[in-house]
Formats: sequence, C-alpha cells, structure tokens
Amino acid sequence: MELFFQQLTNGLAVGGIYALIALGYTMVYGVMKLINFAHGDLFTIGAYLGLTLLTAMGLTETLGPVIGILVLAVMVMGLVAIIGVILERVAYKPLRGADRLAAVVSALGASIFFQNAVMLIYGARFRVYPHDILPKVAVSILGLEIPLIRIIILATSLLLMGALYFFVQKTKTGTAIRAAAIDQGAAKLMGINVNRVISIVFLIGPALGGAAGVMVGMYYGQVNFTMGWMYGLKAFIAAILGGIGNIPGAMLGGLLLGVIEAMGAAYLSIAWKDAIAFVVLILILIVRPTGLLGERVAEKV
Amino acid sequence: MIGKSVKSMVLTFLVLTFMCGLGWAGTIKIGLMCPLTGSWASEGQDMEQIVELLAEDLNAQGGLLGKDVEIVVSDDGGDPRTAALSAQRLSTMGIAGVIGTYGSSVTEASQNIFDDFGIIQIANGSTAIRLTNKGLEKFFRTCPRDDEQGKVAVKTIDNMGFKRVAILHDNTTYAKGLAEEAKKLLADNDHIDVVFYDAMTPKEQDYNAILMKMKAAKPDMVFFTGYYPEAGLMLRQKMEMNWNVPFLGGDATNNPQLVEIAGKDAAKDFYFLSPPVPQDLDTPEAANFLKSYKKKYNAEPGSVWAVLSGDGFLALTTAIKNTKSTDPDKVAAYLHTKLKDMPGLTGKISFDNQGDRVGDLYRLYRVDANGAFVLQPK
Repeated sequence: MELFFQQLTNGLAVGGIYALIALGYTMVYGVMKLINFAHGDLFTIGAYLGLTLLTAMGLTETLGPVIGILVLAVMVMGLVAIIGVILERVAYKPLRGADRLAAVVSALGASIFFQNAVMLIYGARFRVYPHDILPKVAVSILGLEIPLIRIIILATSLLLMGALYFFVQKTKTGTAIRAAAIDQGAAKLMGINVNRVISIVFLIGPALGGAAGVMVGMYYGQVNFTMGWMYGLKAFIAAILGGIGNIPGAMLGGLLLGVIEAMGAAYLSIAWKDAIAFVVLILILIVRPTGLLGERVAEKV
Repeated sequence: MIGKSVKSMVLTFLVLTFMCGLGWAGTIKIGLMCPLTGSWASEGQDMEQIVELLAEDLNAQGGLLGKDVEIVVSDDGGDPRTAALSAQRLSTMGIAGVIGTYGSSVTEASQNIFDDFGIIQIANGSTAIRLTNKGLEKFFRTCPRDDEQGKVAVKTIDNMGFKRVAILHDNTTYAKGLAEEAKKLLADNDHIDVVFYDAMTPKEQDYNAILMKMKAAKPDMVFFTGYYPEAGLMLRQKMEMNWNVPFLGGDATNNPQLVEIAGKDAAKDFYFLSPPVPQDLDTPEAANFLKSYKKKYNAEPGSVWAVLSGDGFLALTTAIKNTKSTDPDKVAAYLHTKLKDMPGLTGKISFDNQGDRVGDLYRLYRVDANGAFVLQPK
C-alpha cells in the first residue's frame, strides 16, 4: 500500500508539471489552431534561467529559501514570457495569413533554434541545481513519508492552474481569450483586439512553462538542453488527452498522465511504462476522439 | 584605369587561391566524426578538443611525413542518419583516415560508407560486439567490447562477495547488451542469484518507482549498465529514500558529472568499471597529454571515451609515420600486425586481426567522500 500512495503522490507531482506545460500548448492551439512546437524549449529556457538567477544572484541565501524561490519563480516566469512574446512576433505573426502548415514549420524551426542556442550559451553538459536550496525534509501525512519538495511542487502547480482558471473564466480579458478561441472573426467584429489576445496567450503559456522548468530543476536537480523534447512530448500528449484547446482538459490530462505513468511503472514492467501510457491514450481517443473534456464541435456545411 | 585595377585584383585573387591550394595539398587531412550536437554533444565536444590538441602538438613537433596534420571535423549529431551524411561528406574530402564515433549505432551507420571508400576508421566509444564481426578490413576501435566488460563485471561482483544481484539497463543497444551478457554469465554462477532484471527509460528523471520495486526484491547490490545522468539521479533518489545498497556501474557511468548530479554524499562509495583515465596512468604520454590539455583548456579532460579518440589519432598517425605512407591498405596492415604495445593515453595499444583492441583494459573505480574517482588495486 505504501508503494501505491508514494507513487500516487509522485505521479501527481510529475503530472502537475506536465499540466503546466500542457496549458501552454492548449492555450495557443485554442486561439491560433497552431501546435507551438517550440514550447518544450521555452520550458528548457525557464529551467536554465532559473539556474542562472539562482547561482548568480544567490536569491535563496539573501531572502531565505521560501521567499527566494518565490521571487526566482516570478522572475523566470517574467523572462520566459517575454521570450514567448518575441517568439510570436518573429516566428508566427508574419505567417498569420499564410497556410497553417507554414506556421508549424516555423515552430519546428524555432524549436531547433532555441535548443541549439541553449547548448551554445550553457554548453552541452548537464547542469546541476544547487543541492541545498530546500531542506531535505519528509512530511508525514497519515503515516506516509512524503518529501517536502513533492508537496511544494504539487501545491504550486495547483495554485497556478487555479489562478489561470479564475483569470480565464472571471475576468474580461479571459472572456476575450475564450471568445477568440471560439471564433476569431466574430470576436474581431465584437470589438476584441485579437492581436492583443494572442500576445496575452503567448505571455501566459510560456510563463507557466518557465515555472515548470524551475520546478523540474528543483525536483530532480539536473537540467540539460535536450530535456524540453521529452517534457514537451509528454505535455503535448496530456493536452490531447484532455482535449486540445480546452484549459481544464490540459490540467486533467497532465495529472492523469503523470499518475498513469507512475502506476504503470510501479505495478507493470518499467520497461513498458511509456507503451502503457500510449495505449491508455489510444484507448481514450478511440472512445472520445476529442479528448476527455474536448467539446464536440458541430460543423455545418 | 579601373579595368587595370580590377584585372590586377583578379590576378592577385587567383594567385592567392592557387597558393592556398598548394597549402592544402601540403597537409595530411584526418577526419573526425563526433556528436557536436544532440544529446551526446558534451562527449563530441571533448573529442574535438582532444584530437585538435594532439594534432597541434604533433604539428609543433614537425608534423607527419614533413607535412602538417589538418583535422576535418564533421558532426554526426549522435544520430545514425546524420552520421551517414557526415560519413559521405568526409569520404569525399581526401582524408587519410577518420576517428570516431561515440555511439555504437551511430558508428554502424557510417561503417560501410567508409569501407566503400577504402577509408580507415578508428571508433572510440562504440563497444557493441557486432561492429568488428563484419570482416571490415579497415575498421578499428580503441575501446574494449561489451562482452569483455560483462566478464569483468561478473568477476568483480563475485570478488566483492555479493550474493543477490539486481541488474538494471535502459533499453539502449549498449546497456541492454551488457546487461544480457552479465545476466547470462551470472546464471552459470552457482552462488550468485539475479533477483531483479528490468529496464528503465533514460531522460525520465524520476526513478522512484524503479528503486522501490528493486528494493522490494532485496538485492545486496545493484548493477546498472546505463549512462551517467541516470546513474547520478538514481544515486541521489536512492539516498533520499534512505536505501543503502551498493551500486556498481558500467563504463558509461565514468564521467565526473556523475558526482555533480548525484551530489557528493550520494555518490560516495559508488563503484564503476572503466578503462583507466590518463590521470591514473603514470606513462610519460599520459602525463604530457594532461599537461598540455590543462594548459590549453584549463580543465581536466572529461570522459574516458573522448580520451580514447585521442588514442585513435595517435595510433593512426603512428602507423602513417612508420609506413611513410597514407595508403589505407598499408596503414591498415600495419595497424593489424605491426603496431604492438604503442604507449597511448589509456595504456598500451595493439589491435587484433578483427580490429579490436587487445588486452584487458577494465579497472574498478570507487567514488570517495570528496567525489574523486579512485582506481582500486587490481
């Protein structure tokens, strides 16, 4: 039973990270119908920027671990958000009127560019987060020893997701984002500045991805310039699982994928872990082609 | 007037090009195929640094057959398809031989291309057994083979007195081959049981599930055949879950970054098998190499695999020097039969008639409390 609960909490923590990255995919897809393949690399950039700020500025030493990490996360989110907006201006905006395929190719190019830029700036070696930022404490919950960092990660990702949900559902800008996702043309006629909406989406998505990057760095301590590919792929699957374009879907998909993976590894063969996750994905998509929470779009001809 | 100056400019340009051409003809070109990008980029970049350094040293001493040695580097991206393109490109550049590359599957994609062009290839990190079983006359490697390592691993486990062994690999050709070899040999051994055998997914970063499953099988030691990033993370996660079991790593864990990733506390008492690094050899060749490497790059060379590419370069240039020829047939024949116990960066170098390196190369290392790799007495 201990294995079950350990793996459950572990799966939820990893799933929270997947969900944060998946939100970036799903929001961009919702508004622009574009798979932003460079998103995984924005996550990598977040992880590396976090490392730089942490070691160069010594935030955790001057401000204490909790506030230091908070400030760090906010700074990284801001910086990655700026990179995200620049990416949109340079790689996607000029192609707004072009075929959708052109933007996908541009996204792949941006991904390769970012990956190699990180390699050239930081080097090809693995980089390591300082080991002693957070005290290595295990919290005892109902007789279960859970590492503190795991709880912090899950709590932070849930908090960020909650904030995003509130923002999208309850604010005026959020309503504009939802409107643009349903029909860009109609949204324009209603007086919504669609260009601004796209910019906002490219602020929020990469910011969440950057936060996920810092979390991975803190959780596992090790970052590498190719790490964005693996996480990007998993998060993309999570977004599809939940129904791409649907914000709560990405959250659910991410958490679910994390738990499925962790359980598969614990109770079935570890070597088959990825295969299991993909079989589950295929089964769900056979039953619900639009994903778990994806809306069925009626097309009128 | 304008016409005249244009004419003289063109003339100067032509003369310069011609002289450059002469300069090019005056060098011996040696190819280096290595992963400068992709997930093995750090290995490839080390390879480039080491081979360039050795070439510079050689040129400073008067070069080869009275000519300078020029290194032509080509990136294989750690990927078989890129490697095939890279091999095609190098083959048409008039090289006297090629050094590289790292991964077995990557080398395999380039083997036949170099063979078709009759170019000597000396791989440095490709340990898969089958590479030298193809009867390719001009293929060599400075690294040992996987079956050799399997034998040494089982002998080490036996010597250390362990009875219940867990074997874990990562499904790559290399790690799986080594794990299977060790499992096969351990099955023939009466007093050692393999209590756990499975694979994990590299790059995943979260190995808690595997560690827990392994712990449930109650092994008294774990033999991990994969690479150093995963080994480092597992050591760290193992410590965090308070599981105190000794780990033995295969030769792909020999990288100083292992300690960085795991942290000194977790890496302490980790054992691994590896060919010796130059730091542990007391030959003048190793000492000189270390001195000039430190002078140029202000660091110690990284992994042993990159250093083995330096050995490939030394073997090739020695063969060219002693045969006074860059004819691949003569040089290959020399490497197969006449090159005996050449002092290299990782010990004495000779090749057998298949192109494999001769001699038992593996040593046991232990990580001490300061994170240093300590060579264990034989």
